[in-house]
Amino acid sequence: MQTMHIVRVREDRKKELCEPEQFKALCNPPSYALPRRKDCLTKTLLVMRLTTFLLLAIMLQASAHTNAQTVTYTGRSVPLTTVFSAIKDQTGYLFFYRKEDLADAAPVTLQLRNTPLRTALEQALEGQPLNFAIQGNTIFITLKPTPPPTSRDGSSPPPSGIHGRVTDSLGTPLSGASIMIKGTKRGTTTDARGDFELRGVTENVTLVISYTSYATKEYKVRDYTNKIFVIMSRSNSPLDDAQVIAYGTNTRRFSVGSVSTVTSEEIEKQPVTNILLALQGRVPGLTVDLSNGMPGSSVHTQIRGQNNIVNVLGNKQANDEPLYIVDGVPFAPQNRNLSVLLTSFAGNNTFASENTGLSPLNVLNPSDIESVSVLKDADATSIYGSQGANGVIVITTKKGKPGATSLNIRVNTGPNKISRELPMLNTQQYLAMRHQAIKNDGLTTLDPTDQYTFGLFPDLLAYDTTKYTNWSRKFFGGTSNNTDAHVSLSGGSQYTTFIASAGYTKSVYNFPGDFADNRLTLHSGFHHSSQNRRLNIDFGSDFSYDRNNSSSAPSLGQALLLAPNFPDMIDPAGKLAWTYNGADLSSYQMMAYLKKPFSLQTYESNNSLHISYQVLTGLTFSIGMGYSLVTTKENGSDPLASQGPPTTFFTPNSSASFVRSDAQTINVEPQIDYRRTIGRGVLTALVGGTYKKRMSSYNEIDASGFSDDALLGSPSAATTFTIEDGAYLNKYDGVFGRLGYIYDKEFIINLTGRRDGSSNFGPGRQFGNFGSVGLGWIFSELNAFKTGLPFISYGKISGNYGTNGSEGVAPYMYQPFWKPANQYSYPLFQGTRPYQPVNLFNPNYSWASKHAINLGLDLGFAHDRVLMNITWYRNRTGNQLTSYNLPTQAGFRNVVENFNANLQDAGLELSVTTLNIKTKDFRWTSTFNISGNRNKLISFPGLSTSSYASLYQIGKSTSMITALRFAGINDTTGVFQFYTGKGDRTYRPNYQTAAQGGDMQIVGDNQPKFFGGLGNTVTYKGWSISLFFQFSKRTAKNYLAGVYGGGLPGSMSNLPAELSGMFWEQPGDKATLQRLTTGSYQAGPNGTLAQRAGSYFSSSDVVYSDDTFLRLKNLSLSYSIPAAYLKKVGMKAANIYVNAQNLLTFTNYKFGDPEMPGALYTIPVQRIIAGGVSIDF
Amino acid sequence: MTAFLHIRTTTLASLLFACLLAASCKKLIEIPPNPPDQIPERQVFNDSADIMAAVVGIYANFKTTAGSPWFGSGAITQTTGMSSDEILSTRASDPTASQFSQNALSTDNSSLGSLWTDAYQNIYQMNACLAGIRNTTAISERLKRQLLGEISVTRAFYYFNLVNLFGGMPLVTSTDYNTSATLPRSSVDSVYLLIQSDLAYARTVLQPAYPSAGHMRPNLYTALALSSRVCLYRQQWDSAAQMAGQLISSGVYTLEQDPNNVFLEGSSEAIWQLPANGSYNQTAEGAGFIPSFSAPNYTVTDFLLNAFEPGDLRNTDWVGTAVIHNYSTNTDVTYRFPYKYKNKDVFGSTTEDYMIFRLGEQYLVLAEAQAHQNKLTDALDNLNQLRTRAGLTGSSASTQTDVLAAIMHERQTELFCEWGHRWYDLKRTGAIDNVMATEKPGLWQPDAALYPIPRQETQYNPLLKQNHGY
Repeated sequence: MQTMHIVRVREDRKKELCEPEQFKALCNPPSYALPRRKDCLTKTLLVMRLTTFLLLAIMLQASAHTNAQTVTYTGRSVPLTTVFSAIKDQTGYLFFYRKEDLADAAPVTLQLRNTPLRTALEQALEGQPLNFAIQGNTIFITLKPTPPPTSRDGSSPPPSGIHGRVTDSLGTPLSGASIMIKGTKRGTTTDARGDFELRGVTENVTLVISYTSYATKEYKVRDYTNKIFVIMSRSNSPLDDAQVIAYGTNTRRFSVGSVSTVTSEEIEKQPVTNILLALQGRVPGLTVDLSNGMPGSSVHTQIRGQNNIVNVLGNKQANDEPLYIVDGVPFAPQNRNLSVLLTSFAGNNTFASENTGLSPLNVLNPSDIESVSVLKDADATSIYGSQGANGVIVITTKKGKPGATSLNIRVNTGPNKISRELPMLNTQQYLAMRHQAIKNDGLTTLDPTDQYTFGLFPDLLAYDTTKYTNWSRKFFGGTSNNTDAHVSLSGGSQYTTFIASAGYTKSVYNFPGDFADNRLTLHSGFHHSSQNRRLNIDFGSDFSYDRNNSSSAPSLGQALLLAPNFPDMIDPAGKLAWTYNGADLSSYQMMAYLKKPFSLQTYESNNSLHISYQVLTGLTFSIGMGYSLVTTKENGSDPLASQGPPTTFFTPNSSASFVRSDAQTINVEPQIDYRRTIGRGVLTALVGGTYKKRMSSYNEIDASGFSDDALLGSPSAATTFTIEDGAYLNKYDGVFGRLGYIYDKEFIINLTGRRDGSSNFGPGRQFGNFGSVGLGWIFSELNAFKTGLPFISYGKISGNYGTNGSEGVAPYMYQPFWKPANQYSYPLFQGTRPYQPVNLFNPNYSWASKHAINLGLDLGFAHDRVLMNITWYRNRTGNQLTSYNLPTQAGFRNVVENFNANLQDAGLELSVTTLNIKTKDFRWTSTFNISGNRNKLISFPGLSTSSYASLYQIGKSTSMITALRFAGINDTTGVFQFYTGKGDRTYRPNYQTAAQGGDMQIVGDNQPKFFGGLGNTVTYKGWSISLFFQFSKRTAKNYLAGVYGGGLPGSMSNLPAELSGMFWEQPGDKATLQRLTTGSYQAGPNGTLAQRAGSYFSSSDVVYSDDTFLRLKNLSLSYSIPAAYLKKVGMKAANIYVNAQNLLTFTNYKFGDPEMPGALYTIPVQRIIAGGVSIDF
Repeated sequence: MTAFLHIRTTTLASLLFACLLAASCKKLIEIPPNPPDQIPERQVFNDSADIMAAVVGIYANFKTTAGSPWFGSGAITQTTGMSSDEILSTRASDPTASQFSQNALSTDNSSLGSLWTDAYQNIYQMNACLAGIRNTTAISERLKRQLLGEISVTRAFYYFNLVNLFGGMPLVTSTDYNTSATLPRSSVDSVYLLIQSDLAYARTVLQPAYPSAGHMRPNLYTALALSSRVCLYRQQWDSAAQMAGQLISSGVYTLEQDPNNVFLEGSSEAIWQLPANGSYNQTAEGAGFIPSFSAPNYTVTDFLLNAFEPGDLRNTDWVGTAVIHNYSTNTDVTYRFPYKYKNKDVFGSTTEDYMIFRLGEQYLVLAEAQAHQNKLTDALDNLNQLRTRAGLTGSSASTQTDVLAAIMHERQTELFCEWGHRWYDLKRTGAIDNVMATEKPGLWQPDAALYPIPRQETQYNPLLKQNHGY
């Protein structure tokens, strides 16, 4: 008696299964039996492959129905397909088979007369390597299992065992699935075609089949003579979602490391142009700071706190940046600023540390990104050896999916505006402020003929005192526009899939003028696997062109400080105004800045090729190759049109700078993967090697004396040139491995290691070893748990310990070099090109070494509808590799050194995801994460005599705030006072620390106390709304730091309106801020005192305050138009949406943006609203 | 069986694979010995052309064509000009400048910081060259001595300025950062000891002839010019008189008769002049002092203007005038600005070089030393050389005190806005407290005579003791 088993596809998978066009007809609910109407299907089905039928989730052996159908057919040496065709015509039965299975079928000779169908088939397939099975009115033709080879000793062949194939619901074979015989330690693994065989096993066993990201399935074998087919369904639990890790993927269920993944679903909701900004608040332990709100500007990330001693307190150095990997290719080393011209003033180039500039990650289109995995602990990163200490961010681009070719179009556009405006004093308030300052300084009469007075007070003596311009609004108040369009085409068969997409993004600057960041991206991905599935090839390519047009103006944010009665910058004749009533406007002519164009064009190409071949079951050789090239063309110019007219003393001169740079990375990584079932567990092993070469170079031409502004784009039109260039080369190699064993789905052990070497280090210091050990116990697998606490669906404790390194240093710094001095500042000296020393050197430095412990507890409740993770970690980074500060008496400001300081970061991370409500039409999910890191300097031999003596203290955070203690305002003089170390009040404190006998004290800690995000998504039928809040709490610089770090209050420099009335005016006043002073040298003793006290004030504890905020980072609203309407117009899906970034901010932080504390006069964070449509064809 | 086979295959393959990689590990990361734009230090001092390039790098580090103030060009003029009584900044919201005028420097004043930093960066190059040249065999002993002498003069000049600005400072003579980074301050006397020994060495090895065209690299007379000045500051009147006398009587230099020609290229009174004809900029003085559209950034104070006697050509030739009409008040504002260097930019019509030492000063050194030696007639003769050139009659001073006062007055009007002479003179003669208390009532404090050590330096070298009052 033959039986038929039908395994039902779970209801929620149905829709997915139906999506490709050819499957649609199959999915008529409620049954999965094939439709009877043959005309509906005939043609399609005949060419369909066997696997298509597998989507029905059927395990099939043979059909019991051999009803009255008969066949009459005569043929001589006819192809089998012809016979099938005849049978189909006569019986209405359909055939399902894989074309390639019939490849070896011999032509048949048949004489059938009213032969029962079953017999007819038996005859047709006689002697063929094929089996048949009838189910409903469909006949499935499959290959016979390969007969076992006869053993050499001539004994009888062993009894054949169970053989079968494991596929997913689309029929794609699952290679490496584990097959275990329940209750025993016997098991095996599927090969590249998904096939497996268990010899010597007969019926009545139960197989337990498991595969990553799929629900484990038990299958009772009733008949071992026929091949069995097991269709695995995707697991419903997020624990089983695949996540990208180093050199592979795993799932949260069996992971013992700390990895957080942000998926395209979350990314697409955010109208940001830089992928890093899409991570804000979403990854526990990851901080993402932006330098300003200009399109394309730098974004800095830090994983689990500060690992490195830095030069300047509160400054994040690039040496702390994680390693970025895009589709296997190392990308954007140290997240270094792309622009050469914008960094030429940055100084210290040893560690490319830029707090401003243009982000190299801006070249990636977030719409092309499938997922971003943030690897945080040793288990996840030790395999990257000396590159992994600061964590790793693995970006994976979108790949094609099998199915009918589909086209997706997304277009959106919307306004940008600064998120928080800073109101400044109006003219009346401003003049009152100035007069108060004049009064304070005792400068009762202003002599307009006195050269000094006229120079100092043009706002009172020359400008129109009745005029008012809101400069903040004039320069930054505009509403600009963001436009984003993305077209993506994907599809393919089960062997070959592709994706190709194009995107265009335009972000306009919100200050006046034609400034925008334009980006064009092309993304493609191809996958092919051979028919036997042993050979797999993946090729991915990303190209992008970005043109960022802005101004080479020095900090435009200073426009906020302009006197509100400053004259119009464009005169009535439409020309730039340079003088007004005799006053020189040139220092403040910001419209001229906007006539100095700057453009950065970036051409980026990132290509990856991955070829793998399964040599034996479970054993795969592969090689990954990557090449990335980033070329930039930069052009900044100072045209005559932006300069004043010639005068007696001044001759305008146009100049321009041209920079070309390129950075190439070649990366080759051969790899062997091995996977097999051993005993009751699954063993995975990986061995690989890395060869990486990074080359970069730049050259800069500075030219001047152009005859016409129209020629500023061409250096050859200049009369004077200088050239500067540089080149860097880094080679890196390593071998790495990973060994994992999951025993009985309960116990996990994972070992990783790497030995690597880098040419950035000197002889004898190049190679190092790194490794990690991870252990996990899924305690919810205990029967006691399963029965006793059934509401706990998942429970795991895991831990790992390991080492890795940090190598972010420029090449060649271990030797002393000299080089020809920059031609621009150092012309030939009597025909000789002068040399200068390049660096101080230390031959012995090597990477910083980090030791990290990570302990995690994962819990799942109510069938994993609530999942939470709590992680505690402790990282210790020693042998600090840093640009060691030196007093300049040593000739240079720093030298690359290791030193024995040990820095600890310890913290807790909590993340929770919940599926709150799930009904047919309504679904509500939430996510929440919060993390806190505590950084501490645990040792630093010789700290007190080192150059860090006043920066750091043992036992304290490296981001502790050392400041003068503010002692209020002296009522009589109206000047700020500060406490000395002894507790006295003084106007002139000493900047040394208390320990050094000075007055600086530790007053706080700049590191965030906690930060995180909270998201809710609700979908109801076609409607979806998602809100994501980001929050953070820390102590940080406040607006007063900006006010006293800018122009001196009282001088010709505007102030935030809020400060009006806060200044001391006369003896006895209990004021918040000290007397205003004009900045004149005649300010008198108290004015002078106040002037200096102002600069002490900006180093005092008052300029720090609580910086806690809750920001509605993202609001996304979308509506999917019901499919019924779309069908008529030939669309598969259509969405209308509005996405908004930085919409609302709740904070007590007074002015400026809480995400950019203390940076009062820069271009603030933008509020972006984008509305659009997404259409699928 | 098969399982074992698999494992063995895997292991073997992995091992082979690992071995292959491990064997070639070192080879794979080999890189060329130097980046294309740089040379290893040992190679620099092994080649005569490279050595010359390294030495002229020291002169290039004066940055005389940078158009902005640096230690070696303009910064000392600008900062001490404000600290004393020569110029005032008209830039309204620039506390960096007004702190100098108010004699209320903050230790994190950026102009102050760059004075120190810039000096020590060049001193490093001097020390590197001194050591490299001493040990090289790539050039002749004669050339070695010549170069060592030149560098010694330059280093002495740097330390001379540093000690006068900051007081005793770390005396760095090597390039080993392990020792130099932790040096405390030396006493003023030990700094002068180094200066004088550097100069003594230079005087023995340098020749009267300049080592290259023009007066661009120090010769014997440059060493003498600095030596005489140092002796004057150390009140070694005899030596000062002897050396200044030797220089003047050599006849190599003569005073330019027209004050407008003094700072031009090839000036006959130039003892050491660095090229200042950059393709982009010229002198920092020209760029910083001369106005573009309206008001200049710095104006000459009334104290200095009043110091010029009627008819003094220097008041018209060396102080520029810009008259600005203020339409708002319908008044004229007359700006006076330092105008010794007349090229604001590269389009200047004359060729100017940057003056380090000139004969004019040597007359004043000689006169002052002679006055102290009580050789008043000789002193007046030498003083009057400059007065005559300035279109003035001879000094009528007769007593030693009067003659000394006349010399100081002449130094004020002759050497204004030039290398900090006024500020240094006020300090070395002890006149500073009286003069400043009169000119800046309520502001002056004696501690202000020394600039503070920049905050970052005391931070990075905890052994550096800050000057009193900061």
